[in-house]
Amino acid sequence: MGADHVSTDTRAAESVQATLKSLVSPASERQREIRRIVALCIPFSILLVFSGVFPLTEMFRISFSESRLVTEGFTVEYYRTLVTDPYYRNIAFNTLWFAAATTVTSICVAVPVAHALEKYALPAKSVILTVLSFPNSLPGIVAAFMIIILFGNTGVLSNVFAFLSGQSRIDVAIATSVGGLFFAYIYSMIPRALLLLRGTYAEVNTDAEEAARALGATPLQTFRYVTLPQIKPGVIGAFILVFRTGLAIFGTVLILKGLLVWTLQIDRELAQGFNIAQASAMATVWFFFVFGFTVLALRYTSAEVSI
Amino acid sequence: MSERFQQGSLSARYGRPFVKLVLALTLFFLAFPVVMTFVSSFASDWFGVFPTGFVTTANWEDVIVGTGVGADVAVGSSLVYSTGLALGGVVINLIVGVPIAYAVARYDFWGRDWVNVFAILPLAPGIILGVAFLRTYPDLSTSGIALIIGYSLLKAPYMVMAVQSSFQSMDLQQIEESARSLGASWPRTFLTVIVPNAKTGIIAGSIISWTLAAAEFNFSYIVYSRGTPPLAIFLFNNITNASFLNAAAAVSVFFLLIALVTIALQIIGNRGAVRRI
Repeated sequence: MGADHVSTDTRAAESVQATLKSLVSPASERQREIRRIVALCIPFSILLVFSGVFPLTEMFRISFSESRLVTEGFTVEYYRTLVTDPYYRNIAFNTLWFAAATTVTSICVAVPVAHALEKYALPAKSVILTVLSFPNSLPGIVAAFMIIILFGNTGVLSNVFAFLSGQSRIDVAIATSVGGLFFAYIYSMIPRALLLLRGTYAEVNTDAEEAARALGATPLQTFRYVTLPQIKPGVIGAFILVFRTGLAIFGTVLILKGLLVWTLQIDRELAQGFNIAQASAMATVWFFFVFGFTVLALRYTSAEVSI
Repeated sequence: MSERFQQGSLSARYGRPFVKLVLALTLFFLAFPVVMTFVSSFASDWFGVFPTGFVTTANWEDVIVGTGVGADVAVGSSLVYSTGLALGGVVINLIVGVPIAYAVARYDFWGRDWVNVFAILPLAPGIILGVAFLRTYPDLSTSGIALIIGYSLLKAPYMVMAVQSSFQSMDLQQIEESARSLGASWPRTFLTVIVPNAKTGIIAGSIISWTLAAAEFNFSYIVYSRGTPPLAIFLFNNITNASFLNAAAAVSVFFLLIALVTIALQIIGNRGAVRRI
């Protein structure tokens, strides 16, 4: 047994040595190609390690620390707080339902919009496309400001609703309520969902749709039984992507403050007493939840995902 | 026969108007506040339904020159500082992004899909990475170096995707083999033949990752501690602390920046990149 173990060890060491040697001085064309691939991947790996993996590991370590500012000892106290304290459970619940609700809403809006863009003859289409993709490059704080313009105390839609309902416009202004935050979320989510859905729509087989219509299906039936199954991977991909975005939104909530969500609480832990251990524990939970969610979703669905 | 076509069904009659209505409402929802912000930034009051007192440049002057009240700074210094930080991020992105995009587009190797996933999916969003940076590099955060390396990781996916789309439209193997057979070494082929050919994607990727880095708020907010605020922090300070119309002017400065970038991308002719930004 022991001898076997040793020989496996030496064999592994030898193979590592051989690999390194082939990288430094390759003997065959295949080895040269591998050396090139490694060389091409090295710069990115360095960046990933120094600005991604290493900081995240340090964050993971301090979330178990007994001391507040340096990594010392081992305790799961911060995680226990997250699980047992109803305050944090409530925040987790808020975050999840709100992200899910806004995601579903923005996809329900984005599907008809993508449909119209792909199938209908629209005037000034390039202008429409620019308008629809413009919010993609706006940070969350600007999206929040847009909602203040629409639904704030002097907001345009507030004025309209005040006129229609006869109430004071301060009473109908919803910018800083949950409703305003809802619109702010979908302001940044709809363009993101569209980006993916338009790509999917471009690949839909229109022959099948025409055949369905010719055979007597109504437009709704055609959409339900012919188009929807074809765009399903795109819809699921958009759901994963937009849900991830929704969980990461922070600037918008920081301004509108309609609902206490996970990211806002992370900031509060830092702002009130610099409790970096608790903030790190929350960030770690966030990271593993989203990582696990993405991996599972990609593994068990037929989703198409890009940024 | 005629009833088989069900021309009278609800969806045949109302489907298209309904979809068009959704499109119109979405366009209004996305574009109207942008227009209102820009218009109101030239107004002197906004107490009633619509802003009044056109046309004044007072708000723009407050933003561009600075009001001189308290710790208020002008947009100029923030813009220059952000430009520098974001440019630093772009340089790092070029060094790391172009090679890995080439590796994935040109070669077939074990674990290629995973490399691709890591290169084009952001590892962690700004706020999570910000907390990690605060813990790991507390001394760097005052100098801006932390911001640069953070930006470069956060925006690397956009660079990789833009460059990849350029590589995918080239016959890489043929180009590489031609250059090699004419006597160029592999590094020389990569640097003087492959990279110049992917110019469009590289420029588009640089512009996109620059804009998004200049606009990155969540990461900057957590990591930034003192000194000149980056552009996104400047916007935040204006939105939360300045008068409403000053904030509108500050946000408009940002809109102009994005508009310039969009035009620049259209000039390069990278339509895919224009949609993505």
